[in-house]
Parts: sequence; structure tokens; C-alpha cells
Amino acid sequence: MTRTLMCLFGLFIVLFRPALASAQRPLGPAEEIKRGGELFNRTCAQSYCHGANGVAGGAPRLTGRGLEGGYIERVVTYGIGNTPMPAWGQTLPGADLAAVIAYVKSLNGITKSADAGPAPPLSTDAMHGRDLFYDPAAELGRCSNCHRVNGRGLNIAPIKTVPSDAASMRTVAAPDVGTATVKGDTFPALLDSQTRETIRLYDLTSVRPVLLTLASSDVKLTQGSSWKHSSVLEESHSNADGKNYSDDDLDAILVFLRAVIQL
Amino acid sequence: MRRRFWILVLALAGSQVLLRAQSNSGNGSRDAHKIEATVQARDGAAGADWPSFGGTDLAWRYSALDQINTTNVNKMVPAWMFQSGDEQGPLQSTPIVVNGVVYLSTNRVHVFAIDGATGRLIWQYIYEPSPGGRLSSNRGVAVAGGKVLVGTGDDFLIALDQTTGKEVWKVAVDDASVGGSISSAPLVVKDKVIVGDGGESPHRAYLTAFDIKTGRMLWRFYTVPGPGEKGHETWAGDSWKYGGAYPWMTGSYDPELNLVYWGTGNPDPIFYGGQRQGIDLYSCSIIALDADTGKLRWYYQEIPHDTWDYDSAWECVLLDRQVNGRTRKLLVHFGKAGYVWVLDRETGELLNVHPYSEVPANWVTGITDKGELVGRNDSPMEGEPRKLICPASSGPKDLEQTAYSPRTGLIYSPTKEYCAYFTQRPPVPGAANDHGGGTYVYTAPPGHDSAYSHIDALDPVTGKRQWTYPYKYNLLASMLATAGDLVLTGDSEGDFFALDAHTGKKLWSFQTGAGHRGSAVTYLAGGRQYIATPTGWGSVTASIMAGLWPEAVSWRTGSTLVVFALPEQPR
Repeated sequence: MTRTLMCLFGLFIVLFRPALASAQRPLGPAEEIKRGGELFNRTCAQSYCHGANGVAGGAPRLTGRGLEGGYIERVVTYGIGNTPMPAWGQTLPGADLAAVIAYVKSLNGITKSADAGPAPPLSTDAMHGRDLFYDPAAELGRCSNCHRVNGRGLNIAPIKTVPSDAASMRTVAAPDVGTATVKGDTFPALLDSQTRETIRLYDLTSVRPVLLTLASSDVKLTQGSSWKHSSVLEESHSNADGKNYSDDDLDAILVFLRAVIQL
Repeated sequence: MRRRFWILVLALAGSQVLLRAQSNSGNGSRDAHKIEATVQARDGAAGADWPSFGGTDLAWRYSALDQINTTNVNKMVPAWMFQSGDEQGPLQSTPIVVNGVVYLSTNRVHVFAIDGATGRLIWQYIYEPSPGGRLSSNRGVAVAGGKVLVGTGDDFLIALDQTTGKEVWKVAVDDASVGGSISSAPLVVKDKVIVGDGGESPHRAYLTAFDIKTGRMLWRFYTVPGPGEKGHETWAGDSWKYGGAYPWMTGSYDPELNLVYWGTGNPDPIFYGGQRQGIDLYSCSIIALDADTGKLRWYYQEIPHDTWDYDSAWECVLLDRQVNGRTRKLLVHFGKAGYVWVLDRETGELLNVHPYSEVPANWVTGITDKGELVGRNDSPMEGEPRKLICPASSGPKDLEQTAYSPRTGLIYSPTKEYCAYFTQRPPVPGAANDHGGGTYVYTAPPGHDSAYSHIDALDPVTGKRQWTYPYKYNLLASMLATAGDLVLTGDSEGDFFALDAHTGKKLWSFQTGAGHRGSAVTYLAGGRQYIATPTGWGSVTASIMAGLWPEAVSWRTGSTLVVFALPEQPR
């Protein structure tokens, strides 16, 4: 898989230029992340390495990986021996190094609150729920296929309420899902946007929602539908035995959602 | 293998004589059809159009057009050029041509419909990626059912109206933040469009089929078997969850057998196999799926438990030849490990395996006629003495494709000669799903001052070389073969050139101004034959060349389609 191969050669021709002078005053958390992002995109993102915003290039993706803060500090500062990943602690001024670390942490959902110091760490259950929410092995039933949380996932259906328990999560009401009729074809549909001429809506017939762009005059949209949240959850294969999300799994996901979503 | 080789040579001698006699009888495309009727049960030649990625579903990259041929190609001149304006080069997509209209896509998913005769823009579509979405490369569109279908680096499949370029439907193949992407051209099979998961970070890869009309998902085949499925036991622990095996290029289709063929990539982590003990099915394999259901019909794993990044993702060329006295439906597959695997495409039976690089591969000492690897030479762990392993991990042939001419019976391959020092390392503690598990450094092969490459004309079944055309740098562009008995491609320094398909003699060349990483096509517009080549040097593999040749930094990138034709006759 050569397109993801290491930036063995390119890295060494990228010379870090301290174009952004070290900060004169301590930066607030948001400023520090912003500054770290600028530094990152001029250096770490370049030359087939981690890609703009850390979404991967020749070197691994950094965004949304669930990397631990201590690990990020260690690797950015000391590098990884015998790989192209350099020890930036030897090159970057201290404030810049801190900014890059803060930025990479932010890509993994680790941010400092402006006034209250570091955000409280997620509980073990919440971290387990987070892993399940974005679990690659959950495949077609994965939560993040339709829901964007902490800036990660597809924003097809924003979470408006956090259900109280696993059972109500399976049967959660979806009042926004209606029924569309287009040229004789009737299907469950979720409205995305509409102008006088054009309507964009998701066809929820198959497990992967299809965003359709249609002439408004061709579409009849009514309230209520046959669509069920449980039918999507049945497509998950998260556990080692290939079964769907269990009630315990859903409970852990709910702990995660309560910890990170402020409705 | 040697015994089988001679049986094949003898068996093929008869059909070769027949081929040669008819090839010499004239230059017209009518002759080409006569030959195909003799030795080809299926016609894989493109005609006036270039309707799919490999020319046709059989992936020959061969056109029956012969207005431009060995007698007049030296008069060929540029007809028009199209500059895409997408500065994220190179232009590496295969243009698709339907009814004289060229459909072209670029890395950032700018899609254009262009008048094939004049170069006039008909419509354009500029894709807007999702927030944080990354667009790395794009290798082409598919056209069917009044739609232009294109995949995106942030893992969407989009259908555009073929007439207007307006978006009709758009579906997320997966949540890209988990690691999927699409860089390859989709494959159209009847009413379905099939896309391969290009991967980016470790997950269990898949092929997905969608309804062309509605965009609804019809089936998904995972290239790593899940719990309860046959083959799941070939992965240790939960390594299957992150096992990769990305089918990241475009497959082929045999309409008579109704089978879709696809090559799969390496298992993850790429170089370190310690966590995934077992043969890791269906990585580094050819898979044959029922086109209607996506169910596995057969598989052939070329490399069990790969630790060298020797994907089997390249094109599956479908052709019919006499083997041991009877016509066999073949699948010919140039692997990344320096061998060509020749399979019966009805059953997956191995009929022959032959090396195609000049520098002997040493990752194994050999492959038996049953396909078993002999004398595996796995790369050392970090800290152990380094070992030179051939070929390098980009393979003698990279994603650039071969071409097969039924007129000569030969397959034309761009072949690179280089090796690499590989190392393995266990995953970095704390890094979730570490993807690489090792490194490599490319270098010249033993006994050579420099890496090099060559274009070869080979018998696809036996591997017997008819001629070779040497080149001092690496070739990263596809081959195009035509009934005008031409083989065309471009080199890294920017020359686009034509060789005589029978002899390899260079007949014509033109400096296009930037290196070549794409796939040229040919088509008819207004009754006139055109040959169109994407230009622009680049890609991860291309960037590695700067480590082999310092002058590689001067092989400029770009994103321009350069189109050639014979001069118009004075009226």
C-alpha cells in the first residue's frame, strides 16, 4: 500500500523554518491550538507525512485516533527511533513544541478548558463507549456513520436527545424522519435542505443513507415513517464474536455521550 | 514450474503460428476481429469509445482503432490540450470516453466533460469535501445509466448527471474518520456500480455495490472474513478487525460467467506480521465474486502472510488462450512481488506462475507449480543486520497498468528494477492500530549502479519475452496498445512515445512538458482517431524516486490532458 508509505525521503528536505516567532505572552488554550495547527500544517503535514490537519499522508493519521495525551507528548518530543518521525523537542522552541502537542491532542479530543484547567478525563466506561461509537469493526452499524460527536463522524443526523437506556436507544423516536414519494417510489427520508427549486434529502432505504438532490416539485414529503433505529444497530458487528452492539455496549456508548454532549 | 513451462510453450506453439500468420496479413481492424474469433472467446477491445477504466471490462487496455498505425504515427501532432487547473497533481486518472465526450477527473475530484474533437469544456463539477475531509488522489470515473460516477478521498461515491454535471446522488461509503477512502475508478457491472475501499488507516476492507439509479447499497463483501465465516481462523486474536486487505484499484468483469474479479492489498500492519499470525485471508489475493450477490465464488491467495507490502491489488486481465490443447478462460495478474500469476478464471486454478523482473526476486527462492512459496526471506527486525530484498515494496510493476494486444498475442508491461532494505518493528506502544510496522529504503539492485526500468512484450501465459525497451529511470505510466500495432506510454522526463508492438522499435515521441503517471486512452470523435494522455509527475511512489535519482526533483508535476491526432487532410 504505497500511498501510505513512510515519508523517508521527503521529510529530510522539509526544513523547519521558525517563521512564527515564539509567543511573547502565554497563549490561551484556543490560541495555542490554533498556533499549533499552523505550525503543524507547515511541517508535520508536509512531504507525504501526516497530511493537512493530521488526516494522514504517507505517515499515519493522527486525527481521531484516540491517542493518549502522554503518548502524544512523548512521540512529538522524542520522536520514534529508526522511523522518519523526528524528535521535535530538539528542533522546536518550547512554546512551539507545546503548541504542536496541544494541537495534536485536540485532534484526539483532548482539550484544556479556558478557565478550569484540563477537562476531566473520561471514565473507563465512557472511554469504552467512545471506542464503540467509532469502532471500525462495528462496520455498517457504527454510530459515527450517521452521527458526528466531538467533530468526528458523519453529520447526517445530529443527536438531539441522549436516550435514557439501551432499550430506548434501540427504539429511539426519529420524528425528523418522514416518508418521501418521488415519481412513484416511496421511501423513508430525512430532509437535509430545501430551496424553492431544489430539495436535498436522505433516502434511508438502505443502511447507507443516500443524499438525493431533486427538483422540489418532484417530491412529496409526509410525516412519519417505517424506519427504525434498531434496524441500523443490527448491522453492527462490534464484538469479537461478531454479534451486534449488546445492551452493555449501548450503555457504555450512552455514558460517553452524556460525558461529551451538552444539549 | 519448469516442466509446466515447457508444456505450455509446446501447447501454445500452434496458436502462436496461427496468430502470426494472420497478423501479417494486413493492418486493418477487420483482421483483428478475425484473430479474436480464432483465439478470443471474448472481445476485450475498446472501439470508437473508451468506455471503462481498462478499456473494456476485460482490462486489456487495447483499442481496435487503427487509423493511427506504425506507418503514419511519425506524423502525429498535438490536437488540443486541457489544463484542469487542479494544482494537486499529478493527473493520474484514466479518461473515459463515451460518444466522443471525454470525462476526466482530478485528484481533488474536479470532474470535466470535454468535447473529444475540440477540447471545448461542456461542463465541470468541483467537489467540496466534507469538513476535515482529505482528498489525495483520484484515478478516474465510470459512466453508465446517464450518470458519471466518481469516488472521493473522503469516502463518498457521487453520481452526476451525464448531460449537465449536476449532482444526482451522493452516499458515504463509510465514515472516513475510521479510515476509508476511494482513489480508484468505480467499476460498472450491469445496473450496479462497485467501488473498492482504498483504506488509509487500519480497518477491515471491503468492496461495495450500489444501485446506479438510486445510490442504494446492494451488497458489501469484506476482504477479511468476520467471526463465523470461513477464513476467519487465518487471523490471530482480533487482528482481523484491523486487517486491511484493501481492494484499492479497479476490478474486472466477465459477463459470461457473471463474475467480478478484484485484487486485494496487503494485510495490516504492513510489514510486521507478529500480531496477525496465520495466512491472513483474503489479503494479497484474487477474489471472484458473483456480480449479483457479492458472494465469494473462489479466491486465490498469491502471498500468504505478506510482510513486504506486496499487494495483489493490480488489474486482472481477462483473456482466453489455448493451454495444454484446450481453450481456457484466463485471468493474468502481474503481482507486486515480481511474478505473474496465470489462473483459470472459472475455477481459480493456478495454471502457471512466472517471474517478470530481470533482477531475480529473493523474497522467496521460488514458487512451486502449485503456487507454494519456497524459502521465504522475511525482513529482519529493527536492530538486526539489514537485508537487501528484491523487489522493492512498490513492485516491478506499480499501479500503472499493462496492455494486451490480441493481434500480437503479447502483453506489454512497464517493469522497474530496484530493491530495498526492509525492517520490521512491533507496534509502537500507545499508538492505536499502528499501521506501518516497519520501514524500507529503496536502492539499486545488486550488481547495478542504479535502479532502472524497461517495457517488455511478454507471452502472457509463459512469460517468454519477445522484446524489451530499456529506460534509465522508472516508468510509472500505463501502457496502451492499439490495432495500429502501436504501444504507447509516457516516461518520467515527460516524453510520450509510440513503440512498434511487434519489435519494440521507437517510432515517435513528443515532449509534453511534465512527467507521466497516468493512463493514455484512444477514441474516435467525428470519425478521427485521437490519443489522449494525462500528464504530471507525482504520487507517493514517484516521490520516492528522488531518493534513487537526485534529478527526479526536475520531473515536474501538472494536471494537463494532452491529445494527439494525425494532421487534418487539406480539403
